[in-house]
Amino acid sequence: MTNREKLRDLLIDVFLLEDDEFDFSLTQEQIETWDSLGTVSMAVGLEEAFGHHMTPEQAVEVESIQGIIDYLTSCGVSFAD
Amino acid sequence: MPTEAPLWSFEKLSTAFPSDGRVWTLARFADRAHEKFGKEIVTWPDAPPPNLSAVIALGGGTLIDRAKVWRHHESAATKLFAVPSMWGSGAENSPVAVINGAGEKEIFLGAEYLPDARLIWAELAQGASELRRRNACGDTWSHALEGFLSPIASDALREQLASVIRGLLRLGAADDQGWFELSARACAGQAQSSVGLVHGIAHVLEPRLGTGRTALGHAALCRTFAWPVFRYDLGSPKVVGLLKNFGLEVSAIDDVLRGFFDREIYRELQPDLAEHWKKVLRDPCTRTNSVVVRPASLSYFTEEKFDE
Repeated sequence: MTNREKLRDLLIDVFLLEDDEFDFSLTQEQIETWDSLGTVSMAVGLEEAFGHHMTPEQAVEVESIQGIIDYLTSCGVSFAD
Repeated sequence: MPTEAPLWSFEKLSTAFPSDGRVWTLARFADRAHEKFGKEIVTWPDAPPPNLSAVIALGGGTLIDRAKVWRHHESAATKLFAVPSMWGSGAENSPVAVINGAGEKEIFLGAEYLPDARLIWAELAQGASELRRRNACGDTWSHALEGFLSPIASDALREQLASVIRGLLRLGAADDQGWFELSARACAGQAQSSVGLVHGIAHVLEPRLGTGRTALGHAALCRTFAWPVFRYDLGSPKVVGLLKNFGLEVSAIDDVLRGFFDREIYRELQPDLAEHWKKVLRDPCTRTNSVVVRPASLSYFTEEKFDE
């Protein structure tokens, strides 16, 4: 499984989305379940899936799925696949 | 913001309690309450009249939480003293109140829901059945563990709850006073972080279980799911690391929770868990579990992978 696929599967589960609702261009505003609880669950899931701990400050700053990718890329996770 | 209700003695209460105060309690405690406090009794499900100087809420978590909500919304000037009849819910020491509605639980949160003081009357628990006591112990453990493991718990809070958990590991089954005190501390602690999947399951299933089949209350559901969920959470190296970093012995906790597990009841609840799994996933408690709970995680529980 590629990192992109791993991230997709994780975020579908964390944000309780259906498969066809997910798109990498989505922002926090467009995802109803990306509320404060979604932010917590996202941070927990990213650490589980990719091994990188997000501080609360880092977690609330992320406002889009691209933002999540940018954060993970800065941690050394490659999405070139 | 205050996070706990002060613990009072009965002597202190007797000097502070006003003459127009009443005791709000269940029928089965009415005689003992009248003998103890010498005050007029209001019997559940009736509520006291508003604007009394003080009310003692004596009973289980349901009554105490109802009293907390009643005081804030209907009688804000009333002093509220909470006397739990059983440990477990910790409602007497929590800024959270959970009210059972039709098919759903309504959760209230804020310092305004903390009682003004709490008291421990350990003798009230002496008549409780062994099953009720075990359920209450399971509820206490769930609060302590889920509060400790919460992803939003601070290190300072984890130190506090680790101390509670060590206390629970040492506590004898017959130490009612000890259980009341640790239960209160566990509940106050988890209110500062969050709970997790055990409570997500309990909150979703409890109002949906029919009386014609298995009807289980909150404490019983927490006791039933505490061990399977703990095993699920242990799948995360982070969870294992947290427990060890705070000096908690994983195997000791596992042994205790396994001792609470009732496989027959657990299996009887599997169809309900499967039917309502989507609601469990969406429950706020589940979403702050220490490990992400996914749709596919259901099979872990239905196939009893925790027992491998």
